[in-house]
Amino acid sequence: MIEQLGRNVIRIVGNTGRFARFAWAAHAAMARTLLRPKAYPRILTQMYTIGVKSVPVVMATGAFVGMILALQSYDQLAHMGLEERMGVLINKAVIRELGPVLAAIMLAGRVGGALTAELGTMNVTEQISAVRSMGTDPIRYLVAPRVLACLLLTPLLIIYADLVGILGGFFVSVFQLKINAGAYWSYSAAGVEMWDITTGILKGFFFGGAIATISCYKGFNCREGAQGVGEACTEAFVGSFMSILFLNYVFTIVFDAVYKSFWTVKPLL
Amino acid sequence: MARKSVQPQDGILVTRHLTKQYNGGVVLDNISLAIEEGKTTVIIGPSGCGKTVFMKHLIALERPTAGKVFFQGKRIDDLDEQRLAEIRTKYGFCFQMSALFDSLTVYENITFPARQHYRITDDKALDKMVKQKLALVGMDGFQNYYPASLSGGQKKRIALARAIALNPEIILYDEPTTGLDPITSDVINELVNKLKEEMNATSVVVTHDMKSAYKVGDRIIMLHNGRIIADGDADYIRNHPHDVVQQFIHGRVGEAELAALRLGGTRFETQFTPKDFR
Repeated sequence: MIEQLGRNVIRIVGNTGRFARFAWAAHAAMARTLLRPKAYPRILTQMYTIGVKSVPVVMATGAFVGMILALQSYDQLAHMGLEERMGVLINKAVIRELGPVLAAIMLAGRVGGALTAELGTMNVTEQISAVRSMGTDPIRYLVAPRVLACLLLTPLLIIYADLVGILGGFFVSVFQLKINAGAYWSYSAAGVEMWDITTGILKGFFFGGAIATISCYKGFNCREGAQGVGEACTEAFVGSFMSILFLNYVFTIVFDAVYKSFWTVKPLL
Repeated sequence: MARKSVQPQDGILVTRHLTKQYNGGVVLDNISLAIEEGKTTVIIGPSGCGKTVFMKHLIALERPTAGKVFFQGKRIDDLDEQRLAEIRTKYGFCFQMSALFDSLTVYENITFPARQHYRITDDKALDKMVKQKLALVGMDGFQNYYPASLSGGQKKRIALARAIALNPEIILYDEPTTGLDPITSDVINELVNKLKEEMNATSVVVTHDMKSAYKVGDRIIMLHNGRIIADGDADYIRNHPHDVVQQFIHGRVGEAELAALRLGGTRFETQFTPKDFR
């Protein structure tokens, strides 16, 4: 049993080390890619597949989140006669947590799965070895544009999710639940701060980076055959999902601490 | 028949005491070999004997567990990927499954190495280069096709054209005829010979197709269980006294394998009919 435990620990430490090296290489290559205009067309292609094509699903996710929040919170708040303040609850929840997290999870499924499957198939059919054999760094050529596109566009997609989430909540509250529109907006505007919006979007950079790095890593290291690619996709999604939740927890603590330490000087700012 | 005294200057590509292990299993066992410039060296051996792994060490796609690899007298197995990139432009590698980029057209596949390593200002020159390389493999006119719409033999030829795009000094072929019909296989063999003559390149061919080995090889090396067991020209291999060599070149199954097959059970014991499960 001790032997088994030791073997598992060595495996986990080894995998973590390999992932760390891969992530470092990917981000270093990404920084270099930014300085090479020759690589821009490849980045734009990835931005189109990763970003533009994800807009509809991300918007749908956002809309339903806003609508459900309105439906679920109405009864609770109406009991206390606070239904006009629903806007604060819905918009704060959408902008700070649910918009970023659910949009990122949607992306982990849509984009992460596709990245792992694409790179995994390239790996299995020796296309990645072919890139190396022709003297090109596959991390620079294949991974850097994907990570860059994901990192830059996730925050933008989160803005879309937020926007549609706000509208969804508004439509359900005002047209279905008959809440006064003026009151809804004025309470929302008073409750939601610039800080909420900024932190929600800032998280997007990290979520996007995590999704792309994990998915590309799994694709690069997938085992042979159809089963290998399938397993890699599953692992990539689970890995991305868990790291989104974990990063979200960490950043909520960090941003809260920052907010509290600047709270006293806020009127000056 | 291992040559213990191989020196880095003995050939364009030299391995010294090359050993590779995966999870404790030995795949290559102390291989010392010098590949001569301008000649075609064929490496034969049964599936899983380490031929492809050996070939990948020659271009440092795999790193040895022990031993050294030299290219033009300089050690390459300990270089980082960036330093290797420059050296690899002198290589052409033709993969077993062609490994063409399926998201790119034939034209883009062939211009890939040139675009990666040089600042291309004259697209006309590039067009001309692609046309010339495709003509060399008899595939001119296929520039705008995607690999998915080509047959196995056509893909192989495009992979060849891509491998020679930068006029390499050494071309490595990983099982170039595997999975092709006999006539297409022969076309590929002819191409290997033609490329050697026209480009004056050194070739290393990994194969288990003896017809191909005799046709293209100036020198044939047989690997078995990670070791070199025969090394010489076609006649030498044909008359080699070693049983394993004779079995392999004549495609004959050994007594031990036959005995194992006989032990596998009789027809009646192994055959089930649906009524057995009722």
